[in-house]
Amino acid sequence: MKRLLQTAAVAALAIGAAGAASADGFTIGISNTVQGNGWREQMVCSMKAQALVSGAVDGLNIAHRNTDAAGQLEDIRNLIQAGVDAIVVNPANPDALNDAIREATEAGIVVVAVDQSVSEESAFVVSNNQEEYAYLGASWLFEQIGEGSVVYMRGAAGASADDDRDAGFQRALAENPGITVVHEVFTGWQQDQGKQQILDFIATGIPFDGVWTSGIDNVIVDALVESDVPLVPVVGADNAGFVGQLASVDGLVGAAVSNPGSIGGAGMALAIQILQGDVPEDRMVLVDPALWTNATEEGQAQIAAAQNPDLDPEWPVSVSIDGWTTYSMEEIIACRGPGE
Amino acid sequence: MIRLLQKNGWVLGLVALMVLLFVMTKVIQPNFGASGIGALSRAALPFAFATAGMAIVVIVGGIDLSVASMMAVAGVASAALMHALGNEGSLLVILAVLALGLAMGAINGALIVVTKVPDIVVTLAMLFVWEGVALLILSAPGGSAAPALRAIITGPVSVPFLPEAITAFIPKSLVVLVVCLAVVWVPLSHSKLGLWIYAVGSDPLAAFRSGVPIGLTRIVAYALCGLFAALGGLSLTLSTGIGEPIPGPYLMASVAAVVLGGVVLGGGVGGLLGPIIAVFILRILRMDLTLLSVDPNVSAIIEGTIMAVVVMFGGLVALRGRRA
Repeated sequence: MKRLLQTAAVAALAIGAAGAASADGFTIGISNTVQGNGWREQMVCSMKAQALVSGAVDGLNIAHRNTDAAGQLEDIRNLIQAGVDAIVVNPANPDALNDAIREATEAGIVVVAVDQSVSEESAFVVSNNQEEYAYLGASWLFEQIGEGSVVYMRGAAGASADDDRDAGFQRALAENPGITVVHEVFTGWQQDQGKQQILDFIATGIPFDGVWTSGIDNVIVDALVESDVPLVPVVGADNAGFVGQLASVDGLVGAAVSNPGSIGGAGMALAIQILQGDVPEDRMVLVDPALWTNATEEGQAQIAAAQNPDLDPEWPVSVSIDGWTTYSMEEIIACRGPGE
Repeated sequence: MIRLLQKNGWVLGLVALMVLLFVMTKVIQPNFGASGIGALSRAALPFAFATAGMAIVVIVGGIDLSVASMMAVAGVASAALMHALGNEGSLLVILAVLALGLAMGAINGALIVVTKVPDIVVTLAMLFVWEGVALLILSAPGGSAAPALRAIITGPVSVPFLPEAITAFIPKSLVVLVVCLAVVWVPLSHSKLGLWIYAVGSDPLAAFRSGVPIGLTRIVAYALCGLFAALGGLSLTLSTGIGEPIPGPYLMASVAAVVLGGVVLGGGVGGLLGPIIAVFILRILRMDLTLLSVDPNVSAIIEGTIMAVVVMFGGLVALRGRRA
């Protein structure tokens, strides 16, 4: 019995008691399943910043950890228990979360999926067009090369965004019969892993004429420069580090395809708009990517304008989405939500 | 009575901690009720199966680092099979996936026994092998789950003659968990085989000299771990409705729950009840951290700290008890 009491006492001390905040504004839940990745961190920061500048949100309830779809089901159900007014979610999978999303919307909670789509009809979606993202960059690369072989550096095996991008890449490949894929590899969207993989491939001595990356880009350019091989065209995302290289690395021809993490802020803006009574007619909003290349003068001007030394090299330079987000550059970099 | 209390002191302490956490949850969120318990129980299901499997191999003196990968294989296999067979084939799919789990576990165990390579090395290697197998079955999340099977773990039970006010608090997923664990564990722990598992875990040499077939016992323990991993993978497919080839965070979580649950790493001590309660404690903790909207970067630190404090505290109490 003594042990029982002691255990209880320790647990009480360890956890501490805290009261839940309550006021007039909205409480919004966030669910995200990749932690420690620059893109996702920017996404969460843009959600926080948008919630703060809206003035309509009292507090955020953030479930942000590395987990699978089942873990995200748990997080969404916990957010339902927490009694939030809306949930903005970056779904681990388009179909796996439908049960929990339906439970949320049946409880009167507004659900907005960002970045990737969900098939549950009661949720709203603000998404980057992942297939178009890959198609745009790959088409540019294949036209640039004309005829030859490319290294295809994908994202994470089995991830749905990677699958969508593969569809776009394969579509571009089918349209360019002169191009072959000499090496296909999964970077897992990890910088160190991607760099090791390209170094390993360079060491084999097999020639290649271009590299398509799924956003693990600046380390690939580093590897090409360090290993003293010809600088072939590289396609990456609009990450600050890579966009900087497009402007500064001698002889590098490349293209950055925008994939704004600020899509999170757009989703937050939509959730607040719906809570305030303005429900859009279409449940799905797709944000199409843009391509900037340093091969054209127009592209060089866009790249020069996008330079921002204040940003983390892993953050996309497109920190806002016109018509959706209303925060300033300083506010998203500060990464502060309401009540913080 | 006192002896019974002493013998199950660790489990009782965990139960008290769990009750305390439930009370805290109710304080934080006064609306917490049947739906919350249902959500909690469904979230705990894959963790509980992974933990049960891990507990058995730890009791036999080993460890299985491939448990999450085996869950992924079972998850995608069941999703692919159910997609092909639909509702009618449900029973067949369950049997096939459970057999697959037993086979994967038995392969792990046989490799350890035959090659004499340390279990940590073999199962680390098999972690990658099973991960690759899962990706071969489904290269991306896909497949589907039979609606009839999904209904098994959704919602509360309905028992004749019991009012709904009571049954609403008993989620089906909890009943499924208890039944599955009991069907395997209760007969096992009362059998000679169960005794062998504890004997091999506490002192393999002594067990060998007493005539216990050590190799066979180990292989059976790993096979059972594979069986529970298959149940875990099946529960993942049933809760999400798809199969995911990338393993989830179940390896570390199961080791944590096993240790918190009073099973000694090294073998021979502990049971299944403690680790399963530990799984629920860790899930409630996660829920409370979300309810309190604790900074997500801090919540992992809090989870780890509480675990370390509870285990250290338990160790201290056990030490004092021995001196007295």
